Amino acid sequence: MISLRRKKSILAAVAVTSFALVASAVPANAEVGVSSTEIKLGTTVPMTGIAAPGYSKVAPAMKAYFEYINDNGGVYGRKINLVIKDDRYIPQEAINKTNELILKDKVFALVGQLGTANHLAVTSKVRIASRNIPSLFLNTGYSGFADVKKFKTSFMHFPTYVAEAKILSSYIKENFTGKKTCLLVQNDEFGADAEKGFATAGLTFDETVKYVSGTQSATTAQTWITRFAGAKCEVVVLFSVSSATAAALGVASAAGYKPQWILGSVGADSTTLKIALNNPQAQALLNGAIGVSFMPDALDTTDEYVKLFREVNTKYSPGVDFDTNVLVGMNAAMLTVQALRAAGQNPTRRSLIAAMESKGSTFASAAYGNLAVSRTSRAGFTGYWFGKFNLAGALIPLDAGRTVYTTDSATGPVTKASAKRAALPAKGIPTNS
Amino acid sequence: MRQLIGTLLIGLTLGSIYSLMALALVLVWRSTRVVNFAQAGQAIVTTYIAYEIVTRTGVFWLAVLFAVVAGALLGAGVEYFLMRTLFRHVDEGPVAALAPVIATLGLLGVIKSLVGMIWGNDFRSFYPPVSTDNFVLFGETIPFSRFNILVILSTTVVMIIFSFIFQRTDLGLSLRAAAFQPEIARLAGIRVGPIRTIGWVFAGVAGAIAGVLITPNDVLSPASLDVLLVFGFVAAVIGGLESLPGAVLGGVVLGIGVSFVLNYVGTTLIFPTVFVVLLLALIFKPNGLLGSKKVRSA
Amino acid sequence: MHKLSTKKAFIAYFAFGWLLLIVADRVDELRVYQGATIAVTTLAIASIILLTGYSGQVSLGQGAFLAVGAYAAALSQTYWQSPFWFTLLIAILVSAAFGFILAFAAGRMSGPYLAGTTLALAVGLPTLANQFSFLGGETGLVYDAGLPPERFGEEFTLYKWFFWIAAFVVLIAMFLLRNLLNSRFGRTWKALRANSTAASLCGVNVAQSKITAFTISAGVAGLAGALLGMVSIVAPSAFPLSLSFTIITGAILAGVTSLLGSMLGAVILVVIPEIADVIAHQLGDSEKITTNLPGFIVSVLLILTVLFSPNGPAEAMRKRKEQHAKH
Repeated sequence: MISLRRKKSILAAVAVTSFALVASAVPANAEVGVSSTEIKLGTTVPMTGIAAPGYSKVAPAMKAYFEYINDNGGVYGRKINLVIKDDRYIPQEAINKTNELILKDKVFALVGQLGTANHLAVTSKVRIASRNIPSLFLNTGYSGFADVKKFKTSFMHFPTYVAEAKILSSYIKENFTGKKTCLLVQNDEFGADAEKGFATAGLTFDETVKYVSGTQSATTAQTWITRFAGAKCEVVVLFSVSSATAAALGVASAAGYKPQWILGSVGADSTTLKIALNNPQAQALLNGAIGVSFMPDALDTTDEYVKLFREVNTKYSPGVDFDTNVLVGMNAAMLTVQALRAAGQNPTRRSLIAAMESKGSTFASAAYGNLAVSRTSRAGFTGYWFGKFNLAGALIPLDAGRTVYTTDSATGPVTKASAKRAALPAKGIPTNS
Repeated sequence: MRQLIGTLLIGLTLGSIYSLMALALVLVWRSTRVVNFAQAGQAIVTTYIAYEIVTRTGVFWLAVLFAVVAGALLGAGVEYFLMRTLFRHVDEGPVAALAPVIATLGLLGVIKSLVGMIWGNDFRSFYPPVSTDNFVLFGETIPFSRFNILVILSTTVVMIIFSFIFQRTDLGLSLRAAAFQPEIARLAGIRVGPIRTIGWVFAGVAGAIAGVLITPNDVLSPASLDVLLVFGFVAAVIGGLESLPGAVLGGVVLGIGVSFVLNYVGTTLIFPTVFVVLLLALIFKPNGLLGSKKVRSA
Repeated sequence: MHKLSTKKAFIAYFAFGWLLLIVADRVDELRVYQGATIAVTTLAIASIILLTGYSGQVSLGQGAFLAVGAYAAALSQTYWQSPFWFTLLIAILVSAAFGFILAFAAGRMSGPYLAGTTLALAVGLPTLANQFSFLGGETGLVYDAGLPPERFGEEFTLYKWFFWIAAFVVLIAMFLLRNLLNSRFGRTWKALRANSTAASLCGVNVAQSKITAFTISAGVAGLAGALLGMVSIVAPSAFPLSLSFTIITGAILAGVTSLLGSMLGAVILVVIPEIADVIAHQLGDSEKITTNLPGFIVSVLLILTVLFSPNGPAEAMRKRKEQHAKH
């Protein structure tokens, strides 16, 4: 979709080349990436490489939802054009591609990028904050991104790993006191953030196993399970990516080791897990595992959001299995549409950021609880509900009322959330302003 | 004691998995003096083929058969269409010896992209032919299953068959001659080209077996064998690159080293361990555990 | 082939640097950024050319030395508040020392054994960052060259600043390397590469020369690493194995024996993926195809280059010119 013709419109180029200029006021209806007919957005995601399985579905899902909106009038008549670039999950590539998006494709804003290291690289070296380039709905839970001072133009989508760990801790303390509790985490900021949350909540583990991203396999998982079994862990928290979660469950099944499993939300996409756990016995192991989620379950077709997103997926991405990754992508896209609408008839980068700050917490979305975004915070969602996986791999709420728990990423307590989820806009097409 | 036995068994399993890839790399190295990074790509293709067969028919052994045949054809194809052209230039310039290696890296990229185009980038998986349930000995579960035995047996059989061919048959003699002294081999009436192709066919077969045996326990994606390639290469180097028993020994040494570190030192040290094991092995035996100096300098 | 005298070469490098500055003022921001990347890549490739093209040793893990340099520079900036130019010196010294130790340990290794060791190093080293908290874990260390001086004006962008620094440093480094290769060292290495037995008969200390080449190559790579850290980040994920492979690929594209060719290799590495991306989006219709097509095109081009000029286009051009001159 990159058109060479655009290259010739040097007029716009001159405006962007210096960020001093961009930072100063740009006439309202001449914003970069916004024409009378189109709003151009960009994203960098791992479309190929080691992180592609699962994650490569997120950006196309966003695109599918945008196409659905475009077919229904777009955003104030403008069609949304999402340019997807493959960063292969490598920070240098993320910088390169983001530069291309900003300087060559001249996108209005970035949406739905993945990966903590990648976004840190982009913020520190592309300096999107000082250039006032919005980056909406980051699909990572690294708590650092909530810091408005450092990441002025970045907005989170996921709840932070710290918050999730705190909420898990309160559940474990309440229900499994006195039981030997153990933890599997990834040996990077994803794990470090989680450990921070568990420590804040005062939960200690009898055994903590850290694995190196990329080395998870059935055989290395043998050593994890040997350790867990050796320590006689009765409750094991798998705060890992889905391939590691699957490896752990599979090996445990083979070893006849059956602790109470608690799955972190990142690695608990049951569609992915079931593919990885092709072994029926291991699948049975998922049955009864406790999980948390800030979204409805992707298999829950009674949920109005899931139902709509599934319809959009069937129509606009035929052949793509609907799973949590697709759900996350569509949700980010639906939020993006609302942010663009809230930014006004003639959105500018400035008005988009202002709209996110003032109205972001009111946007309708599939997630339980609202975005915690404000003038002083860039946090995303904060609410989680607890469920149990059934034999089909669906996460069924522990209580009929689906109690949502919420907390911050600092030392605040875990509380029951009071706010109800906003109803799905008619036909899933936002009409906010 | 229980933990020690567990560690050794896990190490043995890891080692036999590394060995399978190492065997394929050594087979290519022995016949053409190339480190074939595309081996991981070739194995990915054959494993996807196996995946298709297994999901359609449910017969694992039929899938193995298809994968092995495909691996052989692919190996022959790569050698015939790509490597042969390259070797025509192999004596030109100082580093043309490096060129084939880069070509195999390029080929790995081509294969992975094609696989991505055909099968997409999502996880696939298929079920192992025998049980992965751990054995229970004297009331204790040990981290070892029928499937682990199958992997170890296959590694051993592949090693023995190819070692026999290399050491005891005329074909093996020609293979060795074609690799070390192509000019002299040619003078001796050996048709170097086809002989080298056979070396690649063997490697393709070994790689196909590796992919098909590793994947049931894991997930399949275009990049899922990349890490194994690194471990396999290191295992092959530890073993001395020249010898098939060396590749297996290198794999087992590496596997047990990794298993010990994962179990006793720290689960996060897996990659540094690879380096340390390799360095230690090469400091004491600069040509690998079973590599011979005489052969290398030829 | 005639060689320029050192003085003439200096003038040539100076003029080229001047030309770069003028060009950087005329092209758009993206090209300036890419220019900075090209400069860094040029130096990284030069470190391989030094090692492989001149002393005949093969390293598949040059990324490890880049990582060492980048971390050394970033650490000296974080903990000692060293000025930027000093961090670059630290990068060179530390990575050269690291290279020396490794060369010493790996002294008896050659060919695939050295290749395997360096590869394992490139895989193993970056993950160590997660072991020691002073290395900043997965998010890495902050390292930057600061903002451009104010007197350059508001129009002077950060990328132009990166480009200036990178181009300046790389030109100096390349000039010094050129002189080094034309010195006794360079001739010794070439003799070594051509025939180590003959070289040792001529009184060349093979082991010592190899260690020297390895050390200098590591130092150059370390400098490239620090510059890469400036343009990118200093974190384990910034130094994946693919970085090492990319650098080797660049060296092959450059023609491993030509120092000047390293620039050509770097240009190809930076430009081809962008072109492939454009082609992919013109051709592809489904997501599956368009996402995998750029990788496919880059890889095919790589294979074609190796097939038709295994010593790199630069070398092929040089040969053709020589043949032309003969007739």
